[in-house]
Amino acid sequence: MKQFWYFAALFFGVLSIGYSVDFVKDIQPIFESHCYDCHGAEKQKSGLRLDVRSRALKGGEYEGPNIVPGDAEASNLIHFVRGDDGEKTMPPKGEGLSVLEIKTLEQWINDGAIWPEGVDKVTLKDPREHWSFQPLNPQAVPTTKDRGFPRNAIDHYILTGLKAANLSPNPPADKRTWLRRVYLDLTGLLPMPDAVAAFLDDESEEAYEKVVDSLLASPRYGERWAQHWLDVVRYADTHGFEVNTPRPNAWPYRDYVIEAFNSDTPYDRFIREQLTGDLEGKDSATGFLVTAAALLPGQIGKDEESKRLARQDELGEIVNNVGEAFLGLSIGCARCHDHKFDPVSAKDYYAMQAFFSGVLYGDRELPNSKYEEPAIKLARMEAELAKQLPSAMSGVERGQVNVVLNVERFEPVVAKKVRFTVLETMAENRREACIDEFEIFDTSGRNVALASSEVKVSASGSRIQPGRHELPFINDGVYGNSRSWMSDKVGTGWVEFEFAESQKIDRIFWGRDREGKFGDRLAVNYKIEVSNDSGGWKRVADSTDRHLFQQKHIKRHAFHKEAFPAAVRSSATKLSAERDAFVKQHPGGKQMVFAGQFTSPEPMYLLRRGDPEQPGEEVAPAVPEFFGSVSLPREAGDRDRRRTLAQWVSSPENPLTARVMANRIWQWHFGIGLVETANDFGLSGVEPSHPELLDWLAAELIHSGWSLKHLHRLIVLSATYRQSSQYRSDGMAVDSGSRLLWRYPSRRIEAEPIRDSMLLVSGSLNLETGGPGFDLFQKRGGLSGFPPVEVFKKSGFRRMIYAHKIRMERDAVFGAFDCPDAGQSAPLRRQSTTPIQALNLFNSQFTIDQSELFAKHIISIAGDEVAEQVNYAWQLSFSRSPDPDERDDAISLVLSHGLATLCRAIYNSNEFVFLP
Amino acid sequence: MSGYSAEHLSRSGRHLLDRRNFLSSSATALSSIALAKMLQTDQLLAGNASPVIDPAQPYAPRGTHHEPKAKNVIVIFCAGAVSQLETWDYKPELIRQDGKPLKGGPAVTFQGPAGNLARPQYAFRQRGNTGKWVSDMIPHLAELTDDIAFVQSLTSETNTHGPAENFLSTGFVQDGFPSMGSWLSYALGSENQDLPAFVSILDPRGVPQASVNNWGSAFLPAEFQGTPFSASRPIRNLNSPGNISGNQDAAARSFLQRMNARHLEKNPGDGKLAARIASYELAARMQLSVPEIGDLSTEPEHILKLYGADSDVNPTKTAYAKNCILARRLVEKGVRFVQLFNGAYASGGRLNWDGHRELKKQYDVHAEILDQPTAALIKDLKQRGLLEDTLVVFCTEFGRMPMFQKGAQGRDHNPDGFTCWLTGAGVKPGVTHGKTDELGRKAVEDIHPLYDFNATILHLLGIDHERLTYFHNGIERRLTNVEGHVIRQVLT
Repeated sequence: MKQFWYFAALFFGVLSIGYSVDFVKDIQPIFESHCYDCHGAEKQKSGLRLDVRSRALKGGEYEGPNIVPGDAEASNLIHFVRGDDGEKTMPPKGEGLSVLEIKTLEQWINDGAIWPEGVDKVTLKDPREHWSFQPLNPQAVPTTKDRGFPRNAIDHYILTGLKAANLSPNPPADKRTWLRRVYLDLTGLLPMPDAVAAFLDDESEEAYEKVVDSLLASPRYGERWAQHWLDVVRYADTHGFEVNTPRPNAWPYRDYVIEAFNSDTPYDRFIREQLTGDLEGKDSATGFLVTAAALLPGQIGKDEESKRLARQDELGEIVNNVGEAFLGLSIGCARCHDHKFDPVSAKDYYAMQAFFSGVLYGDRELPNSKYEEPAIKLARMEAELAKQLPSAMSGVERGQVNVVLNVERFEPVVAKKVRFTVLETMAENRREACIDEFEIFDTSGRNVALASSEVKVSASGSRIQPGRHELPFINDGVYGNSRSWMSDKVGTGWVEFEFAESQKIDRIFWGRDREGKFGDRLAVNYKIEVSNDSGGWKRVADSTDRHLFQQKHIKRHAFHKEAFPAAVRSSATKLSAERDAFVKQHPGGKQMVFAGQFTSPEPMYLLRRGDPEQPGEEVAPAVPEFFGSVSLPREAGDRDRRRTLAQWVSSPENPLTARVMANRIWQWHFGIGLVETANDFGLSGVEPSHPELLDWLAAELIHSGWSLKHLHRLIVLSATYRQSSQYRSDGMAVDSGSRLLWRYPSRRIEAEPIRDSMLLVSGSLNLETGGPGFDLFQKRGGLSGFPPVEVFKKSGFRRMIYAHKIRMERDAVFGAFDCPDAGQSAPLRRQSTTPIQALNLFNSQFTIDQSELFAKHIISIAGDEVAEQVNYAWQLSFSRSPDPDERDDAISLVLSHGLATLCRAIYNSNEFVFLP
Repeated sequence: MSGYSAEHLSRSGRHLLDRRNFLSSSATALSSIALAKMLQTDQLLAGNASPVIDPAQPYAPRGTHHEPKAKNVIVIFCAGAVSQLETWDYKPELIRQDGKPLKGGPAVTFQGPAGNLARPQYAFRQRGNTGKWVSDMIPHLAELTDDIAFVQSLTSETNTHGPAENFLSTGFVQDGFPSMGSWLSYALGSENQDLPAFVSILDPRGVPQASVNNWGSAFLPAEFQGTPFSASRPIRNLNSPGNISGNQDAAARSFLQRMNARHLEKNPGDGKLAARIASYELAARMQLSVPEIGDLSTEPEHILKLYGADSDVNPTKTAYAKNCILARRLVEKGVRFVQLFNGAYASGGRLNWDGHRELKKQYDVHAEILDQPTAALIKDLKQRGLLEDTLVVFCTEFGRMPMFQKGAQGRDHNPDGFTCWLTGAGVKPGVTHGKTDELGRKAVEDIHPLYDFNATILHLLGIDHERLTYFHNGIERRLTNVEGHVIRQVLT
């Protein structure tokens, strides 16, 4: 209808604009009344902004340029306001433009769209001038007149800020308070009474430094501070999304982070190892790349669109992680469109993605692993299973021969030699027999056939394919067809093992391909003989008592349920299933790590609106154009790509890296950062409260050789950190959020230190470090929900960082204390206070059990005297003696309701759960 | 405040700052409570406002952006993707083309090769005054069509259940974003200070596929997450374990109170300490109010019968029916957001609506559980006048394909056109909005991504989905990401 009137008006010539159009007088008001709601300072729908000259002339993301000077007919702006395309009539809601207004716009454009400089009512800040993108600029430390307060440079900066606001700092906290603070802060555990006494007794000024040094040297420090980093990178031990199956080999990354903090790995190296640890002998470090939730192949649709989208999501998460964790930049925002605030274009985003286009989510072998458990555990399981199988030549039928694993059990026999003779191979004897590994166990369960134990191997003859089929491969300890022995005769052949000394043996494992990939060349008719020094061969096993060979069951290994006698079948089958799952997670008995697989990079395209179905130009790896010219050709390999990016991120020249980490460290000490948006140093983040201090700290970080412990020491030994947390009315009036640090900001401690400290004071904390996590739930992953473990055993009394972390499912008791869910990056723990927290901490089985243990622990040390018990409870929990009224109250509670009731109340008290 | 340059912040970012400074200035618990009362009287949220949360009273009722039509909402969440073609989206052309291949259709869908077109597995007939076609699978719900506004042209961003449930509940396919219920508790607080503001009632068969993501608070403060319980599953840790006597509980609680009071005296002015003391008081009240609300023994016989909660024949149906009654009781008590699940996790369609292989056989079972109790809930709300300020939402994560899967008697995932509906407060009764093509493969008219549906729900509760934001990792996050338009055609 509008169009009709428009053309009618033109036709009848009733409208003409007889004057020249002035932008400020005629055009700006039209924009203001019709367009700014959606295309102004607050909102820029489709990326279009009409209140700023440069942005308006550039146009929106999808339809730009909207204004073609001199050609109204070619200008989309005119098409939209005229409603030429019904769908996109602008404005979409409310009154449209009048015919006169449209005509005015047309004439303005036809006259050249003159938009004078300096008439815009807002000026856009040039993103290049944003503070965090400038090089570090540490100034001389300010001098302050107050001689009493400052202990180091930090205090001069803080004092300068306070003076400007006419504030003074709080007096120092008492020694006991400082000690609790620094213990909880640095190690996540309360100080025990002897440590409190020693510190109070030591009146030297060095007493503080000694405590800090010992805490930073303690392995407890890494267990506390690694958690902060794991929050940022959203670490979990499950894959996430609906199936949320276990990611059983994720934990080596968690251990790597703990170790990196404990050994004060220089932060620049810490970055490089997480991006390219495979090149630096730190394989588990690259777990960083794949910490995100990911769909498993079975969860992704079979249609190609679903696969492409899932791959994009995986790569997107890597870019998010790098951007947020190291650079404090929400690069991920540019996946669908140019970043709304920061100088990161969609093209930059895909160029960043290209650095990782060779990275796949998955396990890889952990070389030089210090964890030998998998092989040992597997051997133990298999020995246990083998015991349940019938012995050879015992008259009981045994399972059929298979390609994966055959077990021969016999009465212990002393042997110098063992010979395996092939009498017939499968499929009518048409091929030469092949055996990938032959293992002979002595009665203690040790494989005595291994080449490494000086065993001589001989054979009737070997068909050699170098590097693949060779005689030495039969006992090299490596499974699989690619390292196996093959006979040189069709259907027959023998292989013989001679020990250096006689061995007492009772079991043999052999297979054609322990990896189960090959289903041919299997010996189906064979005999096994042994000989001792006196000569003469004795048969200990053969295939005559095995179930008739059936091709279709060729991969049913020795521990298939049918192989077990009925009496043990159900228990053995369960163990067998556990073994299968274990083998899957630890192929070849190797420790794997979920730390990405590295392949040849796939081509990367600029995707319109982030849609993998709308690829545009191909992009090569490059850092965002604004930040420099670091780039690689499209042909660059995966290693080059990751290495190049790692160098750029970890460079002291990068304006963001050191600032972002110095700020995180500060935040984790004080509860809030100098920049309070720790993951966002971009234009939409908050500016630093103390910019000079931040730059000074960042420079200190770099100059100390990127030592985080150096920063910790500076911070916790500062007078700023040592202040009391008492409220003061003058401070509250000016700076209620304590951002200027006129007091130390006290706060509730996080879930982990609460749980760990409960265990510590009850005497049940288990300080075992590293390795697979303990279970907070009765299941390690899966679909049907997670029933929590109610009653924990000793392994469940480990520090909480060693729990098997289920993504999205928070611990049933402590999760409510703002534990991150490992969905999105959590740079800061929120501090909420909820009735569910109260119910959990007051009523849970965990609290009740710990209260009992706590009471027993107190009695074991303080004895039967109630006053002594109360006193010791206070020393343990609060690092002090009870006040007289507290003592009387507590004694009467213990006398009427027992010591455990007192312990339960203590666990719930504010004094117990607050960082003072 | 020196050091800040507030002009560089987004408007809501600045607001956050001001708010924090303002609130943490409340020197004692008493003054925080007074503050909450003061804020309460401020009916409408001013201008560009995200909610103001008082740490001592996080559940205090808060204002809205505009006059709300609905005060409470019950979301009936059918996990596993209910087929639109067997329920609300009548496709006579599909009956005619039964057994023929879909021309130009996909060869491979989510689970694998596509088979031929398959007719709706239930007969359809016209219902009520509007003559809306609804299938015989759900005879009780079918009676209510005159009160319902259907949106038949919804689309999802993904064809995988977990991400799709995330998308429906949080507006994002990824893990780790706040659920709609947590957004609303954050925005509105609660009318009832003795019960959680947001309750998730789990299906008796188990948890839905995206599990806790459907009621999690992600990066919003934990106060606002949903509390899961049901008629058969109480709140965890509501009471101490059996071996602890009531006397011990009481003694420990009162001792704790004295201990915390002494501690507060030594640390005057700390609102966080006061807030934690208050949380124990609320917990104690919940210990009384939650068992009371879950006690259905006070419900009269005819009500149990109406819901189908009176029979032992089908224990799953009875358990779900009791959950429906619980939902009504919660809303009666002023609980703001109730999520009522029908269907559990992936199980080859056995425990939820994921009918890939034997759709008709499984839907016969599921429909019997869903139909009568859900319909009874709506009727009951209506007869008590509760529907006047309660919005009822019926939703599912996506729809199903018009073809059967190759070699199967069921339908694969279809995120391109499916049906959810609304009834109750502020909803235009008896309308059908949006259309799929003649075979029900894709939405073709008035297409609405789920963002629009969620924006509409917030709108009915008085919230502008574009202005309810929370700053996280550099972005003002919202339930609807950067999308969403209110579907005005379904509003009164």
